[in-house]
Amino acid sequence: METVKSIRASTQPIPMGLVLMAVVVVHLPLLLMKLPLKSYDTNFHIFFASHYVHHWFNPWNAKWYAGFSQATYPPLPQQWVALVSRLFGLDMAYMAVQLAAMLLLAVGVYRFSLLWVSPRAASIAALASVFLGSESFLVYSAGQLGTTFAAPIYLNALPFLFEWIRHGKFRSFLKASVLFTAAAAAHHATLLFGSFFFALPVLALALLDRQDGERTSAPAFVRRTIAIALVVGAAIAIVLLPFWIALIHYPVTQTPIPHPSRANYILSPQWGLNYFIVPYGALILALPFIFLRGSMVVRLRPLLLGFWVAFLLGLGGTTPVGHLLLGRAFDVLTMERFSYWATLLALPFVGLLATELFDRYRMWAVVGLTTAAAFSCALAVGWATYRPADAEDFKVNTVASWLNRDGHDQYRYVTLGFGNKIARLAMMTDASSVDGEWNSGRMLPELTRYGAGALTSSKYFGKPGLDALRAMLTHADHYGLKWVFVRDHFYDPLLSFAGWRPVDNLEDNTITVWSKDGVPPAMPLNAPQMPPHWQGLMWGILPFGSSILAILVVLIPDKKRYERRMDRVLVTDESQAQERLVS
Amino acid sequence: MTQGRIFASILGATTVALVVIGTVWPVPSAVAYAGGQSLRRSSSTPEAAVGNLGNDIRDQAWDKAYASLANKAQFTEPEFVHDLKGYAPSLLTYATLDSFEVLPLHASANKATVELKLHWSTVVGASVTTRDVHVVRDGDRWEPEWPIVRETTVPPQVIPVNYLRWDVIYRGAADDWGAQDVESPHVRIVDMHPVERAEGVVILGELLNEDVVPAYVSVTATLLSKNQSVIATEGSFDKISHLLLPKQVTPFLIRFPNTQLSDIRSIRMTPLSSLIAASADPVIEIVNEKLNAAPDASVTGQLANQSGQIVNVAHILSAFYDKTGQVVWVADQYVDQALLPQIPVPFQIHIPEDLARSVSSQRTVVATYSFEGAQ
Repeated sequence: METVKSIRASTQPIPMGLVLMAVVVVHLPLLLMKLPLKSYDTNFHIFFASHYVHHWFNPWNAKWYAGFSQATYPPLPQQWVALVSRLFGLDMAYMAVQLAAMLLLAVGVYRFSLLWVSPRAASIAALASVFLGSESFLVYSAGQLGTTFAAPIYLNALPFLFEWIRHGKFRSFLKASVLFTAAAAAHHATLLFGSFFFALPVLALALLDRQDGERTSAPAFVRRTIAIALVVGAAIAIVLLPFWIALIHYPVTQTPIPHPSRANYILSPQWGLNYFIVPYGALILALPFIFLRGSMVVRLRPLLLGFWVAFLLGLGGTTPVGHLLLGRAFDVLTMERFSYWATLLALPFVGLLATELFDRYRMWAVVGLTTAAAFSCALAVGWATYRPADAEDFKVNTVASWLNRDGHDQYRYVTLGFGNKIARLAMMTDASSVDGEWNSGRMLPELTRYGAGALTSSKYFGKPGLDALRAMLTHADHYGLKWVFVRDHFYDPLLSFAGWRPVDNLEDNTITVWSKDGVPPAMPLNAPQMPPHWQGLMWGILPFGSSILAILVVLIPDKKRYERRMDRVLVTDESQAQERLVS
Repeated sequence: MTQGRIFASILGATTVALVVIGTVWPVPSAVAYAGGQSLRRSSSTPEAAVGNLGNDIRDQAWDKAYASLANKAQFTEPEFVHDLKGYAPSLLTYATLDSFEVLPLHASANKATVELKLHWSTVVGASVTTRDVHVVRDGDRWEPEWPIVRETTVPPQVIPVNYLRWDVIYRGAADDWGAQDVESPHVRIVDMHPVERAEGVVILGELLNEDVVPAYVSVTATLLSKNQSVIATEGSFDKISHLLLPKQVTPFLIRFPNTQLSDIRSIRMTPLSSLIAASADPVIEIVNEKLNAAPDASVTGQLANQSGQIVNVAHILSAFYDKTGQVVWVADQYVDQALLPQIPVPFQIHIPEDLARSVSSQRTVVATYSFEGAQ
């Protein structure tokens, strides 16, 4: 009875300290277990970070694709991993940066939700973010550090944007601008699409609220919007200048690589499970509420529309929306990030729903929602084990040692059947590979022409993958490609008939080293994509500097104006507020 | 109904409509992941029935494929799978079905014959198998009858092996292959000339192992322009038999796409050879070899494995000569089924139509690969 009473009496927000503790309690053990290392992309990010450890001011990385520019991917989270690795080593530094991103997410969700719902609902939304299936899916299965690092920064910027538009406070303008720039330095796509899904609804909200309290005139609204768009646009253009130069000179024109997130989840239910059920989890049950409440409350409609578009895009090929709206980008982007953004946009609704359920059902609601949250989080975390990126775990130390001895690293190499271990191997060896995992950064025609991903997984891409592998092996002499490490004997006939011979066995004969006679030592490719020194300096200073500046600027005290205002005009679970806002 | 409810209804209905549209008329990427079609067609026509079977084979949904057959009582599901993918490990065993074609050949009210052409993606390239599938009507639907080809077996016997074998003692276990401390076997290019084809310049020739030891060989060619600058360098890749026993000859072919003969002043040929342990076993005999004239010029025959071990992959290379004995073309084919002892496997290597008239003779060599080791 004590507990029931306390729940009934509680109309206060959950303290943010408690929410942050929940993040630590749920995710710290998983990160200490290095669970993300099993994901698809974590090793890729750590590999990029390892390059920054040694070459902070030189984004040209010779270890993949016979040389490629890391300026083709925003560097902020990887640079933070590189910096923190001085203390903890690369793996734990990655975990530390990921944990920081999760803590920031809880804060960001709270602050963003506060624009739309009551402090209590916002705090519940923040708590729900800890258990969000899509977050766990991206962290533990997909390993998308860039997306999960940028989104919290972006969410934290949005209340400042609102403040600037509504009240014209320069301090908010400064904070919003710096945070938006830092978010772009972490992940450009988040900023680009976030502008549509997150920023436009916030602008619409500012427009809806312009008559409440301190009035905002229409010209002021337009002027402030243009001002921040121009300043943020200019800041991002400068901070990521080497990225834009690379993108303009070498646009991604390669043959698109298939990705199952673009499947129709009804015709291909296995991918529906992977990209819809797992990321959404129990949030699926809240969809009717989101649509109903978002439609009925005028003030929530911009948020609903942002959610709706992101939701449709996150459905991949289940609807024609992605294909129509994104055009060619639909065949380049992966769609799970849209589901992630959709779930973030859904969280204020979840907070609202939870407060109503708590008020109505009390203990039963607590039990039900806790169970639903735990189930969502557990399913997404466990998914990394049920559907691992790499079915088999194996060490690549012996391969790295082999490459690093007796001058073997004078030649390039490629692996077959190594999965995402190629990033781990690249970190450990001095040798250069013609393969890699950053598809947008590769320029070798043998790789870009066929529409396949990494050569190490050629067979999984069917004919395009095997065609790419054959093309690369055909030009082995040109690239100084002498070694092929084979862990999947599917490829043996090709190597044998193409003039390669097995010369050694590693890892208890599970890995065979194949060699080709007469291959000249690898020469550095005089690639025009190599960024000049000034770009390297910019790349080393500005993106990371933007995050330092963001930290400093955010520390400037704020007057908490929007919280007080929210207390007056928030969309609460109280009936009188609904009466006023329901159309 | 309030404005809000109307708005919710519109959004909900639009979402459902978009999902329905996306499912009935899926976008290309969704089609690819759904196995090449939108919603599965009913087997209301013979072509649809065979098409569904093709989709099941592509998805490797063997249970569904087997269950859809009208004559499944005549063989087991493993037999069906082995018939498609090979009874012994071969190229097809590990291949994926890239695409398939369905072509109606004959139809009556209750029976039809449909050609099913399967385009396999194997590790060494594309491979096509064709089956004529009978389809029978069962009520309002059609069911295919799979033309099963059962495994051929030979009676138990002992096959004596007395072929030559060459072993090599290397300097030490730590030595790198290719850094041998012995003289390379002597090899010589006995014929070479470039020809211009639609896709670019092709260099044809033959390489002889003049030595008394086996050689592992390859050939690279460098095209030089009129000012002696390098235009391009390419290798023979798999258009050569890399293992040459003493006195053996292999044809080779090197492609230079997007180049023209008129731009080339000279060609630098670089044959490479290294000593290798080898055996003359397994011996693959070519029987019933025949050069077929145009139209559809080709060399046909059968490969007979005379040893007692299974050869998993065979690669056939044919050199075609004109009346003067000069090589006019080199063509090859991978055999996508395993060569079981004493069981002949047919092959057919096509000759380009424009060259067929100038071909007067040919020579064919076979390279083999067994999964326990290359030969």
